[in-house]
Amino acid sequence: MLKIENLKASIEGKSILNGINLDIKPGEVHAIMGPNGAGKSTLSAVLAGRNDYEVTEGVVDFLGKDLLDMSPEDRAREGLFLAFQYPIEIPGVSTTNFLKTAINEKRKYLGLEPMEATDFLKFMRSKMEEMEMDKSLTSRSLNEGFSGGEKKRNEVFQMAMLEPKLAILDETDSGLDIDALRLVSAGVNKLRNPDRSFLVITHYQRLLDYIVPDFVHVLYKGRIVKSGDASLAKELEVKGYDWIKQEVEAAV
Amino acid sequence: MNLVQQIESEFKLYEHQAQKDDFFEYRKKAFQTFQKNGIPTIKNEEWKYTNLSKISEIGFQTSCISNLDADALVKAGILNKIESNKIVFVNGCLFPELSVWLEDEPSIICTNLAKARKEHAAIFETHFGKYLPQEEGLNAMNSALMSDGAFIYVPAGKRMKYPLMLTNITDANESNILQQPRNLIVIEKSAAATVIENYIAVGDNSSFTNVVNEIFVDENASLEHYKVQRAKGDSYHNNYTQIVQNANTNINQVTLTLDGQWVRNNLHFNMNGENCNSLLYGLYIPDGQQFVDNHSRVDHAKPNCFSDEKYKGILKDKSVAVFNGKIMVHLDAQKTNAYQRNQNILLSNDATVNTKPQLEIFADDVKCTHGATIGQLDEEPMFYLRSRGISENEARKLLLNAFADDIAEKIKIPELVQILEEEIERKL
Ligand SMILES: Nc1ncnc2c1ncn2[C@@H]1O[C@H](COP(=O)(O)OP(=O)(O)OP(=O)(O)O)[C@@H](O)[C@H]1O
Ligand SMILES: [Mg+2]
Repeated sequence: MLKIENLKASIEGKSILNGINLDIKPGEVHAIMGPNGAGKSTLSAVLAGRNDYEVTEGVVDFLGKDLLDMSPEDRAREGLFLAFQYPIEIPGVSTTNFLKTAINEKRKYLGLEPMEATDFLKFMRSKMEEMEMDKSLTSRSLNEGFSGGEKKRNEVFQMAMLEPKLAILDETDSGLDIDALRLVSAGVNKLRNPDRSFLVITHYQRLLDYIVPDFVHVLYKGRIVKSGDASLAKELEVKGYDWIKQEVEAAV
Repeated sequence: MNLVQQIESEFKLYEHQAQKDDFFEYRKKAFQTFQKNGIPTIKNEEWKYTNLSKISEIGFQTSCISNLDADALVKAGILNKIESNKIVFVNGCLFPELSVWLEDEPSIICTNLAKARKEHAAIFETHFGKYLPQEEGLNAMNSALMSDGAFIYVPAGKRMKYPLMLTNITDANESNILQQPRNLIVIEKSAAATVIENYIAVGDNSSFTNVVNEIFVDENASLEHYKVQRAKGDSYHNNYTQIVQNANTNINQVTLTLDGQWVRNNLHFNMNGENCNSLLYGLYIPDGQQFVDNHSRVDHAKPNCFSDEKYKGILKDKSVAVFNGKIMVHLDAQKTNAYQRNQNILLSNDATVNTKPQLEIFADDVKCTHGATIGQLDEEPMFYLRSRGISENEARKLLLNAFADDIAEKIKIPELVQILEEEIERKL
């Protein structure tokens, strides 16, 4: 699905990703943890195609295509989705119109006819029910005046609508109340299937109780310094990052 | 012949006519002011970025003559989708075949100036020429040699059921056209009306349209006023709208500038009573080498009034826009609430905006804010939309439409909103 090799990226001359290697196979859930400022959001932004970052080295293969060579919109149309850590508000753009445009642009790219308006609304309604999205949210401008948690839920709702092949969730659990966390996790689990993969960035083991990962990686100073199974997250919960940092410093 | 010479020679011709019209004394005085003040130059602070010198040299003719028939004029864009009363002027002269009147109330009047002066002398004399700052050169020029125009009168307590569409068509097929429409709108106590000014142009020659509107809104009355500028081609347009409002009045004014080589809108609100509510909104979308200047002034002369002004621009290519908004809060005008914003998005490196929001406050208990922004489309929302599979082009359109909708939603005629949306689609 996604194969990252020796990915290095910098911003304004400051190097942030220092050689990332990661291989995600179809159906797998990978979790990335790591201290603040490690480069987790940078990695997801580089994968989604944000051009503030300069990729200085490395290749990323996504479903047999050179991901880094594609525009952000083509990456999305090929099946990549990023749930942002800090979703922005876009006043004046209605959620409905935005999603309809997104879905139909993707369909056009795939050589499909645009979705009929009534089919779209039916589809949207079913996804709203599934994600327990209140109608008052989707009838507003995109994220405008949404609470922090509502914005996060809207990201997962968009993911459900766009049915990506690979979803990157950047701290989607931060700021969610307990019910919302359960709902979001259930939403993700519902979408889990042998052809769809997830890259879940989180600070908390709690999320991984709901979305059980196949692999857990620790990102530190722009490198994956440790990988393991779900038990690694539990270990981090107890021990924190210091022991890993020490291991890294000792190796240098 | 430059413009000043032309006005002088036309005025001489007028003066030597055996039969002068009823406006002789008024015209003569205005002409003297015009001779004294002339056409503003860029040395005048209010015209610093707005250069009339090229226009002065073009050479125009004043002529009612148009070979276009009613059908052709309708096709030119009379906004027929809007069910409305209509009065149409071509090159400044009334075109009665296209008039439409839907009101049942006989006391509401819409006619041309020449007729109004004769048939409604009392009201006419009370208001005509009473509000306009004549020392402005172009206003004096209009007063000296005005063409015809509309006289709209809604007597006390009456409301117009339909909007009134005042269409001005420039037919520059035969020659370069100069026209000077002059409109007078009187809304008496507790009356209400909606007026749409609609400017369009046909033909390949140049034109200069120099409009003056005098609008009087008496106590407890309300007015919806829309100006739609769609005069395509090599058209130059100056518009001075003077609004005088008495206590407890509500005015909603929206200025949409879409076409025209050179457009200067002057809008002056004089709040002459307490509890006035004045809304001034504008949208301009120039492209190519278009020039658009929105000059406004709001005089808060009495206490407890509210004004909200927001002008937004989207500039393409080598277009240039000027915004100059002055809010004057006079000594007496305590408890004034006044807001003013000018926001611009530049879609090209060659586009230019000169903006000057101004606030002059002489009262001490007021709430006023003003501000201006000029910038590109924000990167963050662009990336958000693109990351969902929306192309750069579509994302830009969504964001620009959202930017413009903020003004479109101030328009209370759904058909006009729809027309505007089509125009935005065309321009973007
Ligand atoms: N635009 C930028 N300009 C300068 N430095 C930046 C920029 N964006 C990110 N950085 C730096 O890159 C480093 C990695 O940031 P990133 O947001 O990827 O961290 P993170 O692992 O997601 O942290 P958190 O857990 O706090 O979300 C940080 O030191 C950050 O300050
Ligand atoms: Mg982060």
